[in-house]
Amino acid sequence: MEKILFKEKLRQWVDTLNDYEVLAPAFADSVWDYARVEAETEIDLSHTNTVNPPKQFAFPQREVFFRFERVDGVPRLTPTVPDPKPTLVLGVRPCDGRGMPCNDTVFSKEYRDPYYWARREKLTLVGLACNEPYAPNCFCQSVGGSPHSTEGLDVLMTDLVDRFHVRGITEKGLEVIERGGDAFDRVKDDDAAEVEKVHAAARSRPQRPVAEMDAVAKAIREQFDSPLWEEMARHCIGCGICTYLCPTCHCFDMNDEVTGPNAGTGERVRTWDNCQFPEFTMHTSGHNPRGDLAARLRQRVAHKFLYFVENHATRQCTGCGRCISGCPVGIDIVAVVDRVTRS
Amino acid sequence: MVNVDELRSLAAELLEQGQVRSLIGYRRGTAGVLAEPCTIAAPGEAETLVWDPTCLNNLALFLVEERKQQAAASAPDKRPVGVVAKGCDSRAVSVLLQENYFKREDVFILGVSCEGTGVIDPRKLSARLKGRWPTRVEFAGEDGFKVSAGGDETLVPARELLADRCLECREASPRLNDVLFGEVVTERGFDEPFRAAKAAQEATEDARWATWERHFDRCVRCFACRAVCPMCYCPECVVDSTTFVNTPGTSAEEKATRIRWCERSANVSESAVYHLTRAIHLAGRCIDCGECERVCPVNIPLRLLNTKLEMEAFQQFEYEVGRDFERPSLLSSFRDEDPNSFIR
Amino acid sequence: MPNPLHSNASEAQEHEPRVVAFLCKWCSSAGSDLAGVSRIQYSANATPITIPCTGSVSPMYILAAFNKGADGVLVSGCHPGDCHYMEGNYLARRKLYLVQQLLRFIGLEADRFRMSWVSAAEGAKFAEIVDEFVGDLRALGPQNRLKARH
Repeated sequence: MEKILFKEKLRQWVDTLNDYEVLAPAFADSVWDYARVEAETEIDLSHTNTVNPPKQFAFPQREVFFRFERVDGVPRLTPTVPDPKPTLVLGVRPCDGRGMPCNDTVFSKEYRDPYYWARREKLTLVGLACNEPYAPNCFCQSVGGSPHSTEGLDVLMTDLVDRFHVRGITEKGLEVIERGGDAFDRVKDDDAAEVEKVHAAARSRPQRPVAEMDAVAKAIREQFDSPLWEEMARHCIGCGICTYLCPTCHCFDMNDEVTGPNAGTGERVRTWDNCQFPEFTMHTSGHNPRGDLAARLRQRVAHKFLYFVENHATRQCTGCGRCISGCPVGIDIVAVVDRVTRS
Repeated sequence: MVNVDELRSLAAELLEQGQVRSLIGYRRGTAGVLAEPCTIAAPGEAETLVWDPTCLNNLALFLVEERKQQAAASAPDKRPVGVVAKGCDSRAVSVLLQENYFKREDVFILGVSCEGTGVIDPRKLSARLKGRWPTRVEFAGEDGFKVSAGGDETLVPARELLADRCLECREASPRLNDVLFGEVVTERGFDEPFRAAKAAQEATEDARWATWERHFDRCVRCFACRAVCPMCYCPECVVDSTTFVNTPGTSAEEKATRIRWCERSANVSESAVYHLTRAIHLAGRCIDCGECERVCPVNIPLRLLNTKLEMEAFQQFEYEVGRDFERPSLLSSFRDEDPNSFIR
Repeated sequence: MPNPLHSNASEAQEHEPRVVAFLCKWCSSAGSDLAGVSRIQYSANATPITIPCTGSVSPMYILAAFNKGADGVLVSGCHPGDCHYMEGNYLARRKLYLVQQLLRFIGLEADRFRMSWVSAAEGAKFAEIVDEFVGDLRALGPQNRLKARH
């Protein structure tokens, strides 16, 4: 289904979704990030990209799995599978949209994670195509994506200056468009041509090249023991920004957090974990198979471009560029992959 | 004016003559406009060294890394490491020397003066360019910075792009050095020292809590602030307490009641413990390089926590961080005149 | 016995403030013992924790106390010049001054963290300090800014 949404009617559409929790990019504290849309919020879709990707809406930083307590000396567990309101996220860039199917695979392939899916099923992602690369480090096209890809999205909007072209892609997407009712207008004859023009112009902007998927995977496997990794990781500080900001990184830690005065009351909590932290692979014996930063950098790059390819036949990197822009010391995944492939 | 060619020549010479085992400096990055840190060991690599307002990193951090690697090496190289250091970076080295992290002869400091201005704040630059990408930023003396973006070159007044910590900087050249490039620069008259912390404490108590509650809530616990700080060199950070000795006889009760200063959960109370602990552990040690705030992905104004304590140290205890590495540290010394009236 | 500073004893459901008191073994802890032995009646809201010296108080103890829900935290030690370890209390004075400044800066209600000098002979002073603290905390209400949230 295709519609036109004039920009001044965006709020009208959002207001019809009053049973949804709606999130949109907002500029606060000098960064763009997702924020809840309240009655008085002025929705601003002029963002470049948000600092945090949308994975947090299905895979939050902190998820309580169950509560435990002792009742008359007997342990009792109370599962806390979330039952969220339907959630709508506006302004999702196609690179972030493409990241969601990777996460969906991980959380369903061998075991369907009930916590992830309880949220994912209620999540509707409304994408906004990129009319130009928004960061100096975008490279979606080099990894099989595009500035107007619909993969992982429920709706795709394209900015046509005074209006948006809106395309429903999935059932969930069609439903939210239907709800919008007369906030939407019909598509006119030249709208399609204009959308195509905008998309083509976006595609034509140069992006940093990444070698083809199989060549990169092969090169990483061959260069596994190369001293190159140590050289490239020389200044890595193991901070973890690259991983936390990545739309597809999904490693987690489990902890029991005691909340009462005795050990028998608390919560089992899943939190994000980070392969760049030194304790990530620390064994209780004290041995650490990835004790040095070179090994951890190699792990991350290999996971994105080799292991995920081998396990799921798709790259795990969508070219959003956050890891590059966010890295305090300039470690650049495109440059890393390039060096490894050329060696 | 810092003569970059002279800097490169000296670096090449030091490496050629084997006076330093390696040299940490800045070079052009592969992505974006910011310079990135580099460690060179061959004299030929000295050509790649740069010095411009995008040289944000505090290279003292890599001295800490070097020292950790040397400590673990079976046949350590005893020669010093060369490091390019701005005023703030040299004060970081001074604190590390004060704490005997390494000895004075272990480091050779190539000091660089901040050309009358300082380094830029990349967020201010990107906000100003509204989506256009900068390709280059150069010093333009006291007038500010020359910014090249999309084929245009603009002269931007210093105040609009300078990092906040540069605005408050009391000494924009490295007093501690083995060689100094550029002139000795002290205060530049942009802002008074500690301006931001002073302004922040004017707000009401409730307003202050509302602000910090929001910041602690936004924290994702990536720990980049800790990773980028040269003073956070503890091999195991107190908030990460992971290495408890577990034996087959350790009961579940014992494991559950072990001291955990803060939980992994990234919520307000736990993140507050982390940030407040870190601020206190840096009291009298933070030289305001501003890196913690720069690297924070969600832009928490971390500088405020640290400069607040440095301001107290300065006003109440007459203590200036990084001034004199032979002086005892803030918290290991005291004066009879230290404030007492807050104690009942 | 009701706290003399408590204004209206008929308010039901009133939150009883919990104070964690770090008392140095040589002076303040002995001072609190003297208050007990002298049968001075004072608020029972302070949980005493004996430490060797105020200089040994890590700021993390204070943060942990607030994280676990303490409404107030008291650190009490020997008067300057009387420290059993000579300098411990001077070091504490500096360190804990900064802790107090930081807690105020982020908006924790002023004076939830206090320090006092109480010698082994000052049982009455100790009781007064605790009473005053508890009275002030009753007015402030429960501490929920730094308390752990789940």
